[in-house]
Amino acid sequence: MVAPAPLRHEPGKDAGKDDGDSDFKNELLALIPFLRAFARSLTGNQEGADDLAQETLVKAWQSRATFIPGTNLKAWLFTILRNQFYSDRRRAWRQAPWDQDAAERIPGGGEDQVFSAQLSDTARALRCLSDEQREALILVGAGGFSYEDAAAICKCAVGTVKSRVARARKALMEILDGDDTLEGVSRPAEGDAAREIMAQLDRLTPTESGDPGGKRRPK
Amino acid sequence: MQWDTTVSNEEKPNEKARAIRARQRAIGRELRRMYDDVAQEPIPDDFMDLLRRIDDAEDARTGKKVS
Repeated sequence: MVAPAPLRHEPGKDAGKDDGDSDFKNELLALIPFLRAFARSLTGNQEGADDLAQETLVKAWQSRATFIPGTNLKAWLFTILRNQFYSDRRRAWRQAPWDQDAAERIPGGGEDQVFSAQLSDTARALRCLSDEQREALILVGAGGFSYEDAAAICKCAVGTVKSRVARARKALMEILDGDDTLEGVSRPAEGDAAREIMAQLDRLTPTESGDPGGKRRPK
Repeated sequence: MQWDTTVSNEEKPNEKARAIRARQRAIGRELRRMYDDVAQEPIPDDFMDLLRRIDDAEDARTGKKVS
């Protein structure tokens, strides 16, 4: 996907304001749709995602002096959003006593289960991946980031991103095609009857670990 | 050339490998569709309000009158 061209500062509009700030704000505005999309993929639900995207905008505005003009603003914003996501979640884990209500307030935690019933098979399968695999796959596979930019956003080596993306793709396919990870929530599409029968046979067959039908989460 | 060797190996994929690649492409399209669907939603009013508040705060900071 191609990012829209940043909005240029319109003469006369915001007259008297610092041009740099005004440009920066217009560019933030243009990137909001992508922040929302990335946030949605991290949290798995709309409300939490939009809160996260808004926190990101505020942080970005407060930190605008540290942004180096001419570098990739989108990657810079995604880095802030990702940091915010993990720090919110750590805080939620620290502060909340362990109960079901708390679990459901944790972004990326219990809410996923609640919301997953409304999601497509692919969206639900995505929730089964590890955070690391999911974010790498979304950045490269959906967000159109280079492996290099994705590595910078995720603070890891380029090779690590490549292997996470590869493992995520493989895991997604296994989850979607015959694995029983989505058991109970999966809705096989028309024409998937044969695959579903094979999946049911798989469930009847003890696995290597001696855990027939056990819930497998790809790592 | 090493490149030729690589290509000649990939020119004879067995059916299973080809099916897997086709399936991967389909999953990739679905992922992009999910992401693009959100990116194409209209920006909720909350976001515009937030940018407006940033503006007002900036006006206050620089001593300009908030209009």
